[in-house]
Amino acid sequence: MKPILTAVSVAKRFGATEALIDGTVTLAAGEFVALLGPSGSGKTTFFRCLTRLIEPDAGQIHLDGRPIQHLKGARLRAARRQIGVVFQQFNLVRRRSALTNVLTGFLPDIPLWRVAGGCYPAAALARAEAALGAVGLAAKAHQRADTLSGGQQQRVAIARALAQESRILLADEPVASLDPETAAQTLELLRELCRIRGLAVLCTLHQPQLAERYADRVIGMHAGRVLQSRRQ
Amino acid sequence: MTTAPIARPATARSLAGRLRFVLLLLLAVGFYIACLRFSEVSPLRLWEGLPRLAAWAARAWPPDLSEAPILLRRAVETLAMATVGTSFGALLALPLCLLASRNLAPGALLYHPARGLLNILRGIDSFVFALIFVAAVGLGPFAGVLGMALHTAGSIAKLWSETIETVEPGPLDAARMSGAGRVKVILHALLPDVLPALCSTTLYMWEFNLRASTVLGIVGAGGIGQELKNSIDLLLFDRVFAILLVILAMVTAIDLLSAALRRRLA
Repeated sequence: MKPILTAVSVAKRFGATEALIDGTVTLAAGEFVALLGPSGSGKTTFFRCLTRLIEPDAGQIHLDGRPIQHLKGARLRAARRQIGVVFQQFNLVRRRSALTNVLTGFLPDIPLWRVAGGCYPAAALARAEAALGAVGLAAKAHQRADTLSGGQQQRVAIARALAQESRILLADEPVASLDPETAAQTLELLRELCRIRGLAVLCTLHQPQLAERYADRVIGMHAGRVLQSRRQ
Repeated sequence: MTTAPIARPATARSLAGRLRFVLLLLLAVGFYIACLRFSEVSPLRLWEGLPRLAAWAARAWPPDLSEAPILLRRAVETLAMATVGTSFGALLALPLCLLASRNLAPGALLYHPARGLLNILRGIDSFVFALIFVAAVGLGPFAGVLGMALHTAGSIAKLWSETIETVEPGPLDAARMSGAGRVKVILHALLPDVLPALCSTTLYMWEFNLRASTVLGIVGAGGIGQELKNSIDLLLFDRVFAILLVILAMVTAIDLLSAALRRRLA
């Protein structure tokens, strides 16, 4: 199948150390790919390069066949709308409700004055509620984010990415801050969303057994090199 | 194979260390003695002045409250000056702090000039700004308001940007990844987390400015300070005492109110 997202030899230097993915990583619609590697193997750097939260020094990143590594301003923002993201630390705005956090996913669709005034249109609230429903947290919509458990916070973060209605979901160590049971539930949820919605999911993990169990394809990383890329 | 380096004898090290310590101590003491001389500290003159102080204190009792309505009006003027000066300062601080926060600044090109401007505004006291504005806009509280606003803008923006710089980058990253622009990211993902701290800082500056504005009157910028200066010039010590009581009551009341509000924000 034609890949939505392709990354070729993406490299980033931090002083003397260099994070490098030597090889090609591809992601197609409806597949769940795990990027497996120990801590410090450069997974997060790679992830942040893909989303352009940091600037890669070398390599190519293609979204739908178009390079995005040099995009700036409005074009970069447009590319980012295609990519939903889930972080290890959930990255919710703590003092706001679960629902308001989910709204973050489609902030570009809400007029500036409504964002400033905090008076969101009914359609936006419905869209956020639907996303919270999809992760089974409709009941917690109006609870403040920092009062939710870790697993619930990560589900709110997943709802935020879903509400964005992108075709790609990148998850950076989404379960590393969760206990084993919650971790399994969270990966189960991601797996299901991938299947039902045809999302392309790229998920970094450091536990081989989780990668084996949930991913369609596992890409191994060691010291910045892509070691294997195999179908399960 | 190399041998481990032999540690220097502890006594030799501590001897050199002690010598350096004694030298630094002598320098510090010398500097302090020089400061005493330059500031013309003289216990003798204080001793000679004590009877005069005592005579004034005796004349200050009882406080002259016959003009209480005028004093209260002047106190309200001072409170108004502090409130308006602080709010104008905060408005000026808003764009400045966004440019002067490392994690929000659009680039070093604006960050460093913004920081420099903050330091200039903060480095010049409200009192000095007020002196200049008295010359520009004439005597009265408005000059005080303008002076206070400039100095306050620098102070508030510095404190605000420090708060903003300690904020977790994660939620901002998440909002950026939605493809939203800078302003929306700040409004939606940053402001809710820092707003209580920003309000608390502003309230603190309000308290601070109220205390500072009691002296602004001395340069002709209105308020209770003006009454204070006039009364001292005319040696009306019972009136001075009354004015000090009014200032103390007002500052204490606002301190308590502001502290209570800040506790609720925490």
